[in-house]
Formats: sequence, C-alpha cells, structure tokens
Amino acid sequence: MMPSLLNKSTAQVTRLGRKGCDTVESLGRAGAFLLQSSVGVPSREGFSLWLRQMHFVGVLSLAIVLVSGLFIGMVLALQGYTILVDFGAEQALGQMVALSLLRELAPVVAALLFAGRAGSALTAEIGLMKATEQLTSMEMIGVDPLKRVVAPRLWAGFVALPILTVGFSVVGIWGGYLVGVEWLGVFEGSYWSNMQASVAFASDVGNGMIKSLVFAVVVTWIAVFQGYDLVPTSEGISRATTRTVVYSSLAVLGLDFVLTAVMFGGL
Amino acid sequence: MHAACPKEGYAPMTDTPFIEIEDLHFSRGEHDIFRGIDMRIPRGQVTAIMGPSGTGKTTLLKLIGGQLTPDRGRVLIDGQDVHRLSRKALFALRKRMGMLFQSGALFSDLNVFENVAFPLRVHTDLPEAMIRDLVLLKLQSVGLRGARALSPAELSGGMARRVALARAIALDPELVLFDEPFVGQDPISMGVLVQLIKRLSEALRLTSLVVSHDIKETLSIADYLYLIADGQVVAHGTPQTLDANQDPRVSQFIHGEPDGPVPFHYPADEFYRDMLGPARPQGAK
Repeated sequence: MMPSLLNKSTAQVTRLGRKGCDTVESLGRAGAFLLQSSVGVPSREGFSLWLRQMHFVGVLSLAIVLVSGLFIGMVLALQGYTILVDFGAEQALGQMVALSLLRELAPVVAALLFAGRAGSALTAEIGLMKATEQLTSMEMIGVDPLKRVVAPRLWAGFVALPILTVGFSVVGIWGGYLVGVEWLGVFEGSYWSNMQASVAFASDVGNGMIKSLVFAVVVTWIAVFQGYDLVPTSEGISRATTRTVVYSSLAVLGLDFVLTAVMFGGL
Repeated sequence: MHAACPKEGYAPMTDTPFIEIEDLHFSRGEHDIFRGIDMRIPRGQVTAIMGPSGTGKTTLLKLIGGQLTPDRGRVLIDGQDVHRLSRKALFALRKRMGMLFQSGALFSDLNVFENVAFPLRVHTDLPEAMIRDLVLLKLQSVGLRGARALSPAELSGGMARRVALARAIALDPELVLFDEPFVGQDPISMGVLVQLIKRLSEALRLTSLVVSHDIKETLSIADYLYLIADGQVVAHGTPQTLDANQDPRVSQFIHGEPDGPVPFHYPADEFYRDMLGPARPQGAK
C-alpha cells in the first residue's frame, strides 16, 4: 500500500515538475520569438507589408470596435445618470463618462474585442500557413518568415490597437452625449465643461494610452506566437485559436489590475 | 553490385559529391529515426532516396535543408557544414537550393505568377520586365503559362505541384530537393511530373534529390538510388543493380511484396489468444 502511494505521489510531482519546465521553456521560446521578429531594420518592402496588415488588423476591426464604443458610452451615460440624478449631480455626467472610458473601459474592452476579432484571425492565418508548409517553403527559398510574415503582423497590432482605443473613447463619449444631453436633458455646457475641467491629458489620456500599448503588445504577441508554435493539424489550429482568445483576455484583465494599481492606486 | 550496405560502400562517384552525409543520427523523443546514415549525392545527377512510409525520408530532406538539427553526424553541401552555419549563411546557402514540397506549399495570398516571381523579387534587383519574362519562361517550361493569373485555390493538385516546381527553379538553383513528388497524382499528372523532373534536371544540369516510395516512376528517372529502412541505408546502387538485388529487404520493397522482413501485421499478441481469451476492454494490456 505504502510503496504504491509513494510511487503515485512521485509520479504526480514529476508530472508537475515537467509541466513547470515546459511552461518555462515555452515562455523562453515566446520571448526569443518576440525579440527575433520585432527587432530589425525597416525597409520599403516591410513598410508595404505592414500597411497591408494594418488594413486586415486595424481597418477591418474598426466596425466592431466603434459600434461597441458607441453602445458602451450610451450605457454608461444611462446608468450614470440614474445614480447621479439622486444626488443632483447629473452635471458631472460628462466627467464620469470620459474618465471611465479613457482610464479603463476603452483600453480594456478594445483589447478584448481586438483579441477576439484580429488576434484569433492572426493565429488561424499563421497556423494555416504552417500547416500547409508555406512557412517552411519560405525558409527554403531563403526568406526568414519571422521577418516576412510575423514582423509586419506584430507591428500592425502594436500600432492598430492604440488607434482603435482612441476611436473607441471618442465614439463612447459621443454616445454618452447622445443619451445624456440629447435624450435625458443634461445641460450640454456642463457635460463638456466638466469633462474639460476634470480630464488631465497626461494622467488620464496618457495613462489610458500606455495601457492600450501594453495590451497591444501582449495580445498581438500571444496571437502571433500561438499561430507560429501550434501543432500543424486542424485540431492544433482550433486549439491555438481558442488559446489566443483565452490567454489574451486573462492577460489583459490581469495586467489591467496591475497597471491601474501602479497608475491610479498610488503604488 | 551492392548487397546490404556497409558504411564504407559509398556510391561510386567520380566527381566530388555535392552533398555528403556522414554518420547522421537523429531521434524524436525515444524513437530513433536515423542510426548512422552515410550518403554521397553526386553533382548534376538525379539521386533518389526510397524506403517504406515512416522511415524518415522527409525528415532527411529537412536535415539536409537545415530545418532540423541532427543529434550526431554532419551534412555537407558543397563543402559547407549545414548545421554549423550562421542563420544568415544558411539562408544564403538556401538561395542555391530549391525544394518541391509534397503539398506544393504555394503562398495562398499570391497568384501563380507572383508565387513564381517571389524568389526573384526577394533575392534579385531585376527590373519588372525581366522578372515577367523569367516567370513566363519558367511557367512555360512546366506548361502553365496560361494559368499565371489563377490563385492557388483554383489549381488541381498536379498543377499546384508544377507551379511549385517552376518556383523551385526560379533562381536557377544548383540543387533541387523533391519531397514525394508523385504522391496522390493521377496517371497523367504523374507522367507529366516524371517527364518534367527528368527534362529539367538534364537541361539545367541540376543536382536532384528525389525522396519517394513510388518505385516505377523513381526507377525511371534516377541515376542512383539509396534505400533506407530502420534508420539505416540498407542498399544503394543504380536502378539495375537494385532491381537485381537478392537481399530480402530490398527485394520486398522493390517488388512490392506484401509480407517479408517488413511484416504485414503490426506487432500484437497471438491471434488465437485475442479471439479465445477472456474478454478485455479495447486497448487494455
């Protein structure tokens, strides 16, 4: 009885240790991958590849991000009004909508939508290129797929998400205006002037943009690495696509707490 | 000429070989794929590597192309040790090679013309008019000049492989690696590919390395053959000598016999025990 229990425990510890080693190895691979693919000398051809990816990753994500921003701004205004009006403070609606969006909701929700819309597509596209040996054939032609396929997608993600986040915030504030001012009758002057008085460029807009940039790096990195590192079968592609969305969402939400604590929590 | 092949029995090449493989060992996990392979691939000839499915023929091509690293031994291409080269030097060496993949591996976001033009665009500064002429020449040589505007999704399997062949020879390489070029082809496409490989190898004086298990087609184009099984070279020689080889392993493969040293049955318990013994769940030991 005792030896078998001991063997079982040993096997479990071994399994745990192996899993730990695999995780560390995978993180190391992902780090080397990011460094190798994102660092390099820009070229004219690289610019045109990047521009093309900006279209796929950025322009095609505009609709979902802007529509979501509009609805979230509208809901914020509606919820905020019903609470603020009890205290006679509905004049502060503009301030509430703008700060919520700029500091928190725009970077986080845009990153989550980006992971679902663009991140999963990046993983599936690169994974399919791997499964059909396109990456291998590129290597055999003497072209480094990290520079040709991965780098333009990484840089497109790094740039596109912060721009999408700005769009999300602008449309969200406008959505709040539509509901708060046009529908619920908050005074237009106080909606805008309160916002102007309370929103600081560096600490609110700037910190929101830093968050967005961090999320852009993390989400695009996860998406592209998952595509590049997957098992090249149909099941492998489906699993990697799921992993991209799950890991990205968890990373965004976890990092958001850390960044908020550092930026606004006085840490 | 050759029976079962000891390491010292290299192919009888007069010239210095283009590829030399020495004591190559490679394993995946616990599974040994190669246990000391030695080969010499001569310049300007068609050499075939044959063997049953799962013997690691494609893995061998990846080791030659530097995509995998051996556990022991070395691969020399034109005197350069592939696995000791820097990443930059390896990519430079690959410009002198072309590879035809089993699936064709055409870039799905580019049409036929752009696929063939790809190596020319990334490795040369030729003017557009010259790139156009070169691409059309290569496509003409594989009979697909008229298909230049099609996307890879619109091509049949045989056509895709021919476009891939045009792309593989776009830079006029010295060496072309063919990974199972005849798999899954109808008789007409197969005939076309056999002719193309033979004709292009002769016309361009290519060193061709064909990995295949299609005996008839491979014997018809190869100048020299290596037969690998169980992680080792079991025989090598010209098509005629291999055809006449009496070694049961060689004979079974060359003549397509269903049973022999490579057994028909996957290793299992004795049949009567499985049928008459106590019932056990599927897969239980």
